[in-house]
Amino acid sequence: MQRTYECMCLLDNREVRNGWEPLKQAVTGVFTKHGGNILSARRWDERRIAYPIKGQNRGTYLLVYFAAETQSVTAIRRDLQFNESVLRSLLLDCEEVPQSAYEPEAAFDVNAIPPDDSDAVTEVETPAEEASGEEASAEDASGDAEPAADAKTEDK
Amino acid sequence: MSSTYSDRDSRDGDSRDGGGPPRRKFGRFGARRREVLPEEPLEYKNVAYLAKFVSANGRIQSRKRTNFSGQNQRKLALAIKQARMIGLLPFVGRL
Repeated sequence: MQRTYECMCLLDNREVRNGWEPLKQAVTGVFTKHGGNILSARRWDERRIAYPIKGQNRGTYLLVYFAAETQSVTAIRRDLQFNESVLRSLLLDCEEVPQSAYEPEAAFDVNAIPPDDSDAVTEVETPAEEASGEEASAEDASGDAEPAADAKTEDK
Repeated sequence: MSSTYSDRDSRDGDSRDGGGPPRRKFGRFGARRREVLPEEPLEYKNVAYLAKFVSANGRIQSRKRTNFSGQNQRKLALAIKQARMIGLLPFVGRL
């Protein structure tokens, strides 16, 4: 039975810097190898990871929509785990592919990727992507330590 | 029959002054809860929205705070956990 799936892959920036298209082909090749039919494969974002993975603080996300037999999903998951350039992957069922997935991918300059220890957010003109971290709530709680009420209670 | 129940209540419950309903130790969950619908889709890619429901320590907020329905609270928890797995949200601490 054929179903549509969605797979988010976190790719190692060290591999991405060697070339985006060859790496993308290599990762999507995992899906086609097991009989998957690629519907869409786009770069989702390049951003700082929430916690270091394999010594990397940044990574590039690749979002793949594909149709495959249900029996092949286990093999695809296993192959993604064996792939050295894929740091993490999340493979889920997908009801329908969003229209934004069919839009052409924005140009991606791998040389513009910030260094691994950088906090910079590279928002490379992706039209369908506005979920950047504008929630940078770095406000510190004001240290309103109340002065101890040293009112003397004198009983007479 | 009713007298049997009232006897049991007065014995087991912490009824005050012997009369009235048994006093509860904690407030009834969701007693005056106003159900809130999510403003944005609860999916793991919507990181900025999910981060609003994560405490400073990285814990998922309870239904008492989110005021979501049970179904939406389960969707929220799943989405946050998926985002954690893929490295979009931290397991511990703030983003």
